[in-house]
Amino acid sequence: MSKQVVFQSAREMPPMAISLNDMGFNKTGGWRYLKPVYLEKLAPCRVSCPAGTDWPRVLTLAAEGQFIDAWRLIRAENPLPGICGRVCYHPCEAACNREHFDGAVSIQALERFIADACFDLRPETHQREPRSERVAVVGSGPAGLACAYFLARQGVGVTVLEAAREPGGMLRLAIPSYRLPRDILDKEIEDIAALGVKFQPGTRISSHVELEELWQSFDALFIATGAHHSRPLKIPGEDNAGVMTGLEFLRSVNADHDIEIGKRVIVIGGGNTAMDAARTALRLGAHPTVVYRRTRAEMPAIAEEIEEAEQEGIEFIFLAAPRQIRRVGNTLEVECIRVELGAPDASGRRRPVPIPNSEFVMETDCVLKAVGEEPELPFLSESMETSAGLVIHNPKGLLEREGIFIGGDAQSGPSTVIDAIASGKQAAKAIQLYLQHGHVRPPKRRDKRSLTEEIAFEHLNPDYFTPAPRADAPHLVPSTRTASFSEVKGAISREQAIAEAQRCFSCGVCNFCDNCRVFCPDVAISRVDSAYAVNAEFCKGCGICAEECPRGVISLVEEER
Amino acid sequence: MSHVNFTVPEVELMGSGHLGCQGCGATLGMRYVLKALGPKTIVVLPACCWTIIAGPFPYSSLKVPLLHTAFETAAVAASGVRAALDVQGDTETTVLAWAGDGGTFDIGLQSLSGAAERNENILYVCYDNEAYMNTGIQRSSATPYLAWTTTTPKLSPKGEPKKDMMGIMAAHRIPYAATASIAYPDDLVRKIEKAKSIRGMKFIHLLSPCPPGWKISSELSVKLARLAVQTKVFPLYEIEEGTHYTISVMPDGIPAREYFTQQGRFSHLREEDTERIQKIVDTEWERLLDKCRDHM
Amino acid sequence: MKAIATSTKKVITGNHAVSYGAMLSRVQVISAYPITPQTQIVELLSEFCANGTLSARFIKVESEHSAMAALIGASSAGARAFTATSSHGLALMHEMLHWAAGARLPIVMADVNRAMGPPWSVWTDQNDSLSQRDTGWMQLYCESNQEVLDSVICAYKVAEKVLLPVMLVLDAFVLSHTAEPVEIPDQELVDRYLPPFRPLYRLDVNNPHAFGGLAPPETYMELRYQMQQSMEQALSEWERADEEYGELFGRRYGLIEPYHTEDADLVLVTSSTVTSTARVVIDELREQGQRVGLLKIRLFRPFPSEAVRHALRGARKVAVIDRNISFGAGGIFAQEIKSALHNHRGLPIFGLVAGLGGRDITPATIQEIIQYAQAHDEPEDLVWIGVKR
Repeated sequence: MSKQVVFQSAREMPPMAISLNDMGFNKTGGWRYLKPVYLEKLAPCRVSCPAGTDWPRVLTLAAEGQFIDAWRLIRAENPLPGICGRVCYHPCEAACNREHFDGAVSIQALERFIADACFDLRPETHQREPRSERVAVVGSGPAGLACAYFLARQGVGVTVLEAAREPGGMLRLAIPSYRLPRDILDKEIEDIAALGVKFQPGTRISSHVELEELWQSFDALFIATGAHHSRPLKIPGEDNAGVMTGLEFLRSVNADHDIEIGKRVIVIGGGNTAMDAARTALRLGAHPTVVYRRTRAEMPAIAEEIEEAEQEGIEFIFLAAPRQIRRVGNTLEVECIRVELGAPDASGRRRPVPIPNSEFVMETDCVLKAVGEEPELPFLSESMETSAGLVIHNPKGLLEREGIFIGGDAQSGPSTVIDAIASGKQAAKAIQLYLQHGHVRPPKRRDKRSLTEEIAFEHLNPDYFTPAPRADAPHLVPSTRTASFSEVKGAISREQAIAEAQRCFSCGVCNFCDNCRVFCPDVAISRVDSAYAVNAEFCKGCGICAEECPRGVISLVEEER
Repeated sequence: MSHVNFTVPEVELMGSGHLGCQGCGATLGMRYVLKALGPKTIVVLPACCWTIIAGPFPYSSLKVPLLHTAFETAAVAASGVRAALDVQGDTETTVLAWAGDGGTFDIGLQSLSGAAERNENILYVCYDNEAYMNTGIQRSSATPYLAWTTTTPKLSPKGEPKKDMMGIMAAHRIPYAATASIAYPDDLVRKIEKAKSIRGMKFIHLLSPCPPGWKISSELSVKLARLAVQTKVFPLYEIEEGTHYTISVMPDGIPAREYFTQQGRFSHLREEDTERIQKIVDTEWERLLDKCRDHM
Repeated sequence: MKAIATSTKKVITGNHAVSYGAMLSRVQVISAYPITPQTQIVELLSEFCANGTLSARFIKVESEHSAMAALIGASSAGARAFTATSSHGLALMHEMLHWAAGARLPIVMADVNRAMGPPWSVWTDQNDSLSQRDTGWMQLYCESNQEVLDSVICAYKVAEKVLLPVMLVLDAFVLSHTAEPVEIPDQELVDRYLPPFRPLYRLDVNNPHAFGGLAPPETYMELRYQMQQSMEQALSEWERADEEYGELFGRRYGLIEPYHTEDADLVLVTSSTVTSTARVVIDELREQGQRVGLLKIRLFRPFPSEAVRHALRGARKVAVIDRNISFGAGGIFAQEIKSALHNHRGLPIFGLVAGLGGRDITPATIQEIIQYAQAHDEPEDLVWIGVKR
């Protein structure tokens, strides 16, 4: 370090006032009362993603065209990007801070692009040292797949049991191929199998005894059997010929079974199953009408599906409830009553109240019931209960069956793909803890600076962002969509993907834009490997770095002296 | 690109430990200008804030030669250095005169005009913090209309507009003149590199906010330098051969009040003052656009 | 080595003698601003630059202040630098004179002595140069055109040795515009006498230093102490330079020039061209048997006190002719002489002010001065000669 120059006498001095050293001896850090700290914040997209995908970093990679690294980074949190890139309800986009600027980043389209760009790529199979523990996962829907994936990555031996002939659960049985092409589903399951996960399709666990046997042969079990039991309408005539559940219908079509539904189809319900059933019926040449007892605003289906259904010409009858179904020769008569919305019910939604003398009758060839599903768990013993946790307890709260975990729709009732993935992931973590420590309490974090603060738009410096239009995924025109089961939503181009990824503000996450280093008047910030370092000897604490950070990464904290 | 990422040369010819105030715009300016010019540069420095910032005898915060000189002599002392280098066969080294607004707009204007008229092969950068900051914030002819300084107190703020320094330099028909801002380092670096490549007199008018003098908190100096550009209060442009005007950064056209309300030196402005200033800003901007159009 | 200069002789003015001196010194950067009666110096230098006789850069600045500032830049960057000025031009430079000396730059400047206004005057007196007495410049007052030319060359020799600037002074018109035969020395010989300027420190991108930064009280005084040390050293350097010049070119001038002082009761002290007039008068008075002598002061800064004391050791009276006045005190040379002698012996020293603003100092004026001094025993600090009261 530079030293001070001390002259003992005039003789030691140069004849004129010239410099003999730099100013490095002058430690201006002593002027500081605030110091800059690189403290990453949580981006709202990441907070809102049930799987916790680190979108700012994924999109930073994508913006540089590094799609393979981006894909690997998504897969650190979610093994099914190709699937989520198509069917997720993308809460990340609703939370995106760019919405306050010029439109949210098209994260779902990017996720799909990244996954598709890696379609021919097998994931790296290197993993932790193989371990002796073996875990059975019952059910191969998104929750089971996610659990199997995260366990396998830790070296745990996993066997996935599936009742159907092929793995995938609801992804394969319920979601139509125009939303989720089967090659995508197959690919992502193969990627999980590539980690050493064994799949046993055609294996149904239907009794407590069978579960007990399974439990004896494995170190832990994860039950992720989904919610396959359709709720009944509880009206007369719902068992007539020509009346079936939406799920039954979708399962048959998706399994390529011939099924006769006629031209006129009435779909009862407003959820995702109802939308899938109606749109699938449309593609089979029928004219579906959706009957829903509340209004469009209360429909539980994801908004995009409702919009697409409307675009495709599906008719909706809102504020109508079926009273009974009659068979009259080759025709079914569905008697409905007009309702109005009254006081909120337990779900918080306003309860439909029938309007007296407003009955009307609709004729149809087929009725598809889609008013909700619930789990069927015939293998659980009487004394067992599923609680909010993952472990099955007896009513007294004592652990009765150590090592049995439950998740996905089987635990929560029908939910979304991404919620199921999150549940499977959480289960994998709990199972690992259980295998290692015999309990599921997470260890205390040693890093006190864990990410806790979510970053809002006000914390960003939008001066560094220039408006750029959002790239939406293209859709097939409605008239051509309905002629086949071709995928409705298209892909964005590579150029669009890079441009769209560049739109990401990278909220709260340093992407090495260098502003802090460039704008330091004291040359006190340097880049060391993959981080910035503040030279405390010289930083005067002016705060320009924090002010000019576009993404709110740098915080000014009081200097401790 | 949606992001604005700055690419400035890596070389650092200004060292830490200098005596610039917290958030000093003039130090950032020096840092960028030397990055652009590289080590073959000799700095000529008249009395100004940088006299202090550079460090006392026997130290220097610059890694290039530096000649301290009297207040009014930046341009001509630089001319002398240039002449000495030329006669010794060194035509490669850049001679940089680095002066504040007082040393440029006021006391140094005569020798600057002389150097400009002689078309001396030097680069003159005026880092403009809009008052005599080193002596404790007294008005200069670069101080803006209605600004507070210790010699233009709030009861009688500066009644005259800022001197049109760029107009004066353009009238000398020098090969290159440009305005620049510490908030746009890549634009500044580009202009300095361009100036370096041109033979003859080059003049850069660099707006450099001064946190104590503008009565702003230190973290805002870059932000205000940016706002000055975005509000058209300090547009960024180039003048070639005194006649060819080009806008370098199109302003967003944010209302000027956004710039003024953030500064303590304008805290006394009334609504009608702000409106009057806005009109002046708009008129000046139109005048600038006219000059650009004249030569399209 | 013996002085066998293959020189040429030319009849030239004092101004052109300065130009030739600068040209022969191979100055590299010239910067100047026109002012009467100096202008001819830089006009001829412009010719030399234009016709290739001299390969120097001439910066034609917009003021004398800038002229000196330009030379400060040039000298700091390692070039031998020259300028010439006069009177108001010199006064305008004042700040930069301090700067050049404080920066220890061996610049040489010719000042053609011209009275200060108002009222406007273009004629000679010494108030312009003597007002710059305390700037740290060495000052040399010349009597003839040959001395002017030779002194420019010697000035660089000394300046570059002790790192202080030199002001070479000549009278307006009496010398500046008066033509005399002058030997122009051979360039090769001058080159042998005066090697190229090789500064100790200069602005150098390969060895960067800052020059002239703020000096706190802990270091300022020592830097000033060093300047005074260099001034003191300059006395012997001038002696050496003069001697060496004499060996090569056959001409020597000394720091002072005593003339018939050995047995003189009364010694006149003069500077510049007044000396020539006084020398004639002294010769006449000597022929009449009067014991009068003459002491020419050539080097004014550093002041050669020791040599002056030695020259005046036998005198019983001293009369100092000052073509200048420090208002409120008296003639400046007289003060200097008094100051040099004060602590040594109680010698009566008359201070006589004459010839301000170019008024002629004729042999009659000199005689009047001598008679006054001879007639008075109690010296007065200030005696006005030739003033119409």
